[in-house]
Amino acid sequence: MEVTLSSRSLGKPGFLSDLRAFWAIVWREWTIFKRYPSWIIALLIWPLIFPMMYILTARALSGMDGSGLAVFTQTTGASNFIGYIVVGTTVWMWQNIVLWDVGFALRNEQMRGTLESNWLSPTWRFSYLLGHTGPQLITMTMFILITAIEFGLFFGVRLNGNPWLALLVMLTSIPAIYGLGFAFASIVITAKEAHTFVFLVRGLVMIFCGITFPVSLLPGWMQSVATWMPQTYMIHGMRAAAFANASLTELWPDLQALLLFGAFWLTLGYLLFQWMERRARRTGAIGQY
Amino acid sequence: MSDFAIEAHQLVKKFPARPGTGDKTADRDAIPSQPKKRSLWPFGRKEPKALFTAVNGVDLEIQRGEIFGLLGPNGAGKSTTIRMLCTLLEPTSGTARVNGFDVVTQANDVRRSLGTLLAGERSIYWKLTGRENLEYFAALYHIPQAIAKKRVDELIERMELKDRANELVEKYSTGMRQRVAIAKALLARPPILLLDEPTLGLDPQAARNLRELIAQLKQEGHTILLTTHYMEEADQLSDRIGIIDTGKVIALDTPEGLKRRIDQKEVIRLEVTGWQEYIGEKLRGLSEVSNLVARKQAEADLWEVNLQSNNSRAVLPKLVESIGQNGTRLVNMNIVKPSLEDVFIHLTGKALRD
Amino acid sequence: METTTLSQPTFATQLRALFVIAKKDWKVFWRYPLNAISHVFQPIIWVTPVYFMGKAFSTNGQALGFAQYSGTGDYMSYVLLGTALSNFILTVFWGMGFALKEDMDAGVLESNWLTPVSRLHILVGRTLTSLLTTTITSIIMLIIAAALFGFRPTGNVIAAILTAIPMLVGLYGFGFAFAAIVLMMREANTMVDVSSFLVQGFSGANFPVKSLPYWLIPVSLMLPLTYGFDAVRGWLLQTSTLLPINVEVAILIIFMFVMLWFGAWIFNRVERKVRRLGTLGQH
Repeated sequence: MEVTLSSRSLGKPGFLSDLRAFWAIVWREWTIFKRYPSWIIALLIWPLIFPMMYILTARALSGMDGSGLAVFTQTTGASNFIGYIVVGTTVWMWQNIVLWDVGFALRNEQMRGTLESNWLSPTWRFSYLLGHTGPQLITMTMFILITAIEFGLFFGVRLNGNPWLALLVMLTSIPAIYGLGFAFASIVITAKEAHTFVFLVRGLVMIFCGITFPVSLLPGWMQSVATWMPQTYMIHGMRAAAFANASLTELWPDLQALLLFGAFWLTLGYLLFQWMERRARRTGAIGQY
Repeated sequence: MSDFAIEAHQLVKKFPARPGTGDKTADRDAIPSQPKKRSLWPFGRKEPKALFTAVNGVDLEIQRGEIFGLLGPNGAGKSTTIRMLCTLLEPTSGTARVNGFDVVTQANDVRRSLGTLLAGERSIYWKLTGRENLEYFAALYHIPQAIAKKRVDELIERMELKDRANELVEKYSTGMRQRVAIAKALLARPPILLLDEPTLGLDPQAARNLRELIAQLKQEGHTILLTTHYMEEADQLSDRIGIIDTGKVIALDTPEGLKRRIDQKEVIRLEVTGWQEYIGEKLRGLSEVSNLVARKQAEADLWEVNLQSNNSRAVLPKLVESIGQNGTRLVNMNIVKPSLEDVFIHLTGKALRD
Repeated sequence: METTTLSQPTFATQLRALFVIAKKDWKVFWRYPLNAISHVFQPIIWVTPVYFMGKAFSTNGQALGFAQYSGTGDYMSYVLLGTALSNFILTVFWGMGFALKEDMDAGVLESNWLTPVSRLHILVGRTLTSLLTTTITSIIMLIIAAALFGFRPTGNVIAAILTAIPMLVGLYGFGFAFAAIVLMMREANTMVDVSSFLVQGFSGANFPVKSLPYWLIPVSLMLPLTYGFDAVRGWLLQTSTLLPINVEVAILIIFMFVMLWFGAWIFNRVERKVRRLGTLGQH
């Protein structure tokens, strides 16, 4: 039977349409995100109260006469523990949120049933993870900005360094943090108690990366472990850039480490995604839950 | 480029068997477990992994512009076959081509040529409006923006979603969500449509409307492969039907052709109360009777018994006599022309609906 | 035909229903082994940065600044005790409301609720299991943490346990009221997250309430849990307490009775409202 005009396909593949597909994914994620009202509270409150617990403990440790604080300054080189702690806890929060958000991106779609219908389209499949990152980065930027504003406003935390260098440290950290998220996204699809993995990874960051303390206080073997975690360099670099007026040369070792880890995790994340995708086609894991 | 819209040769799909999948066919092809023999190898013998065969050698040749119905009971392998054709699953062995493209090596081209309806209401985003869903998927199918907008409007109109296109899908009824899912399948105006159990869960009117739509789509030139376990649907819509059971296509023909296979037989449909299995055994023993299937109905104590006979005149008195004993009562009796379900029973000895 | 019901409610059968619910929860808890292990190790993970941070403020293992507020330089024992008790806070906030919500999502709640066992009984049954499992995981956690960080309870253990009891019972009573709120909200995650965090903070789980900025101290003083933490520490670590210990114990006992009554009352009101509005089946 002749194929009549009315059934000719409308799709026109090409680079521009790939870009448009990617943009559609970003837009979709953002639109749905906006429609869950609780994000506002999360975005305003958590930047403030999460570091507060540690800060209040530090306050208690300082003592009524500040004698404890003197010891702190001696150990860490920082005269103000508030900024010191906020940087560490914010990095932890960032990795935590990425693990939940990006890490569960595909899994949530699978549970809803929409992963299959996305998979049916002729769009490059890694776009779904990459596209998800877009809105995530925007909210994270807001999170960090709000943190800076709240602590600057309420606690008088002042920047002592070049803000552009601080920004550079953050940008250099993005590949590592999100690469880890991508790796997670692929593993989590078939894991049964997936949230336990998140607890594990963020637990490691909490223990080893010096979020509220200098890594030098850790016993030797723990310090070795810390050198294998990109978050250690991020925290160290951010503290130096934001409060110790570090120069680019002084920051370079941290930046270098972050770039290397970033390349590693992005590559691993992509490879794991390919592996997961092939496996799903063989065992049908995509459609089931 | 081949002449067929869809071609499949000896498609096979095996899954690693998972304990308690709840599928009766799982045991059928599982490799029987070896008794634990003590061996000299200290690390224990490697048990061969049990495999569950969902599709066991399916052949299909679907012409362009036809509606092909894949009819079979639950668990027959219909959904698995469709998933292989739309590239969600990779066949364990065998080949398939959709619109001339190989499903494994040219997967993206296949996806571009298809509009697929799977798992209706769960396949769209509930936190987006109907319109937003369609615009999103239009972009994923690489439809240029100017055309996409018009196309989405067109489909919203056609699927009667206009009044509520800008409300969130979570507020729609199941029927409306299904309509959005269908519109999504039609977005890129694909030459081939795969519809997996499209009327499942719909109320009768909605199902009727959907079937009319499918007929219209064929008029517009689409090739349609639909799976179903409703025989009336397959009968009414399909140009040709493939009957599938336990992973194999056991018959392939036009609906009339299939029914003609048991033309010489008549089908007697009985409604009985107090049915006992020994009566079934007795009747099956009669030479004029073949393929007796008894099925309990929803009403208390009412059974529907279907049997096929090549000489109903002779067998009727024997039926009445056997049944009217020991508390069993014949409530109703019909002699009917064979339906597709009867063809299925004839071929497999089982009922189509479970 | 026999259509007389087989259901014969008596005190004994109500008790049995309670027991069955507790048993079911117990079994389900241990069937997620990773989750159970997580319960033990999560608190240890969260306390680790506190340990090292404390070291940054200490000389020779004594946090003298800290001692000015609390009466002891052994900040780890102080914090570990707080962490062990916080486990119960977390369990109450997350376990009660979300256990109900999980059931709701899984469709099991409606089938549970269709049974003629009082809804409150169901909550109480879950409470029993949760009390037991949390006590077990807390003790294991304390043992491990003691090995890692050092834990030196030098005081009256029995008195500490006796003091903890009314606090915990009152906490669970509050849990009933909280479960009611969670039931009514469609997305309770953020609220539960934030409120459990804040309650832990303000009751002094991690730091002496006295060290708070003066304008925040009233918030802590309003929380009965604050006195609970304080009294238990007073017994076990011989720290200085906010009020005389006997007064604090009395407060806890009053708290227990008030909360039990209040929690049950709120829960029943909300449950009836939910039945009227029909929000049970949606989520």
